[in-house]
Amino acid sequence: MNEGDLLQRAAEERANIVNKYARGREEGAQIDPWEDPSFEIYHVTDRYGFIHDQRVPQRKDTKEVQLERERAKKWLKMRKEWEQHKLSADKLRRRVYKGIPESLRGTFWSLLLEIDTLKKQQEGKYEEMRAIAWKWSPDIRQIDLDVNRTYRDHLMFRQRYGLKQQALFNILSAYSVYNREIGYCQGMSQIAALLLMYLNEEDAFWALSVLVCDKKYSMHGFFIQGFPKLVRFQEHHEKIMNKFLPKLKKHLDRNGVDTGLYTLKWFFQCFLDRVPFRLALRIWDVYLLDGERVLIAMAYNLLKLNRRQLMRLGMDDILQYLQIRMERSEMEDDVVIESLQRCMEELKKAKLDYPGPPPPDELPKTPFGTFTEPTFEQKVGRRTSELTALERVATESVVLRRQQTEEQLEMDQLSPRPPGTTSNGHHRLSHISGSDGGNLGDQGSKFSFDPSIDDASSLVSRRSLADTSVTSTADLSVFSSVTRSHAQDNSLDTHSNVSDDSGPRAITPTATPRALTPQPTAPSPDVVRIYVPYTSPQPPSPCRQNGDLPPRSLPCPLTSDLNKIRIKVDNNSQEEQTPIVEHGLIKPFQLNSPEIDLK
Amino acid sequence: MANRGGPAQRPNPQTQGKICQFKLVLLGESAVGKSSLVLRFVKGQFHEYQESTIGAAFLTQTVCLEDTTVKFEIWDTAGQERYHSLAPMYYRGAQAAIIVYDITNMDSFGRAKVWVKELQRQASPNIVIALAGNKADLANSRAVECEEAQTYADENGLLFMETSAKTAKNVNEIFLAIAKKLPKNEQASGAGSTNQGRRLQELDGSPKAAGNCCK
Repeated sequence: MNEGDLLQRAAEERANIVNKYARGREEGAQIDPWEDPSFEIYHVTDRYGFIHDQRVPQRKDTKEVQLERERAKKWLKMRKEWEQHKLSADKLRRRVYKGIPESLRGTFWSLLLEIDTLKKQQEGKYEEMRAIAWKWSPDIRQIDLDVNRTYRDHLMFRQRYGLKQQALFNILSAYSVYNREIGYCQGMSQIAALLLMYLNEEDAFWALSVLVCDKKYSMHGFFIQGFPKLVRFQEHHEKIMNKFLPKLKKHLDRNGVDTGLYTLKWFFQCFLDRVPFRLALRIWDVYLLDGERVLIAMAYNLLKLNRRQLMRLGMDDILQYLQIRMERSEMEDDVVIESLQRCMEELKKAKLDYPGPPPPDELPKTPFGTFTEPTFEQKVGRRTSELTALERVATESVVLRRQQTEEQLEMDQLSPRPPGTTSNGHHRLSHISGSDGGNLGDQGSKFSFDPSIDDASSLVSRRSLADTSVTSTADLSVFSSVTRSHAQDNSLDTHSNVSDDSGPRAITPTATPRALTPQPTAPSPDVVRIYVPYTSPQPPSPCRQNGDLPPRSLPCPLTSDLNKIRIKVDNNSQEEQTPIVEHGLIKPFQLNSPEIDLK
Repeated sequence: MANRGGPAQRPNPQTQGKICQFKLVLLGESAVGKSSLVLRFVKGQFHEYQESTIGAAFLTQTVCLEDTTVKFEIWDTAGQERYHSLAPMYYRGAQAAIIVYDITNMDSFGRAKVWVKELQRQASPNIVIALAGNKADLANSRAVECEEAQTYADENGLLFMETSAKTAKNVNEIFLAIAKKLPKNEQASGAGSTNQGRRLQELDGSPKAAGNCCK
């Protein structure tokens, strides 16, 4: 183009623009939707990028945002100190618990996870894994299914095959060949997506890798077959519940709400989708700093903070509360996190803050990043209908735990009530006044938030798919309806408007339903259950440290001798005597030989 | 027995009948539409990008059957093979199951058969099993013939319908058919660990389960 042309083009452009302004918004004006503030997406997107059904309330958090901006300056200084190794751990901890400013979250997440170091050590590895995955990963199909439905209500993941969907697909595929023992497990896609909201593709890959294999987080044990770490953490959580929230625990037990029911998603995804997103980010800040003990403490914290509400609810509503309402509640993040800190101290004093290092079966056995060609079965996606030994252990553990709970409930009901416990199964509101664990310092303090669950207007629907969380939610259950013989009537939703007062009081749970009820038809294998305290023939495993009580008879995989069940009957322990249910009476069951081998 | 499950025994003012509770579990391969079927049945909604279910989800829905109110306690499970080991905890004590496959995916039908076998072996002997060929709206890309599935269902004593969570086709129908087939009297209760939902008088001449999709 010569000078004349250039001049002419500039003149035309100028005239064009001037003309647009001169005409204003009169008819014919060409305005792209995004150019106007009325463009809907501006109004339905929250500050984290989630798109909502309705317009997001006008920044009521401006103050908060301003405060964060102020704090960001301090954090920038901290980053310098970090780089010069002058940052004190105390200061970092204090500040992280106050929340990493949104603008610096990505930066500090990478620092906390030490991604740069890892990336340098393994330069080129990510690309290599990605290339191998594209060619070989047997998990591609499942990953594709899940990328297509991960955070589709978020700006970044909304577009099919958009940039961030590509990145999500890439890191999950690459990881599936990097760590063949996990491959891909449902639940990882949300974690990877969260990381991608703050980190670039390769950094997010290494972040995922740190979360899975670094001993601070050790998520490996969660995602491998049989979920051994889940089982262990659930046991630990139960221990805490029994000690610190015994009444709530009983209430949940009676309603058939097993630990396994609500903890799976809490532990697998560190509370993503189970608390409001902004609170989940705060929890993640703390999780990245302090690691897996945050999961344990936060699970306790959430139940403690919500115990009054939960005590009023029956089975359906408890689950509804844990699956959906809590995510939409207006929890004060600071209040929850402060309470979390107190919970951590409380657990530490009781030596229950840490479930111990992972036992061998939770650890990776093969080195990462080595390529082995998938087997024929893996390649064609052929599935086995048989469970592996590890999976069977998981199944048995959780079923057994539920059975024990049921037995315990039955025992409670049959035996005279020990002083100080309420075991009559009545769910009267009056029980609520006797709240859990008198040893809890802040009972009834102003710190208990109340998400005013009955006030629909106060529920903020975060996502356009919000309602899908109804079904996309929950966790594993070992629920059996036996314990729901006392289920509350308020669970009978739409079609029953029976008044509440005739409900729970009509029940006379004087005896265990199953024990009193001879099965009219085919005797079920369920009718008689024998429990024998389990003792590992091996020396105490290293995972049971911290002054933990010995595990209460859940099977552990015996690495050496998988086909043999060793039963040891402890005749000395009155409480542990194996009960046998016969015509509604529980008799102590004794064996002459204290030890039998079943082959 | 008479004192069990108090709330459910109170007369329902709307139907003057009894309320029955049943535990129902959904099983099937990943992304065949288990959660979508439940969402359609419980809330009348459909989401194109239904999030994947991690672990399982619990919902309830109540249907009226003549003088009986049947309340379903629905356990919607995760489809990935990895979560198979948790399945027994969900179908344990269940009185009904819907095994879902995707009519556009032959593998998912094969997987459904495996679930049927497992339930026949491991679940309560009287469990009512329904087979749902979901995504019937995608009949253009059909991979599983309706007749084939119907034959298989007949051979195994399963209820069978082709459903579409998207268009709502046969969704309520399949739950209703299950409700009708479930024993409403004490004696017929499954040998499972629960007796809930079976404390009703016999429903005389309950109509035969509806639903032959092949027409």
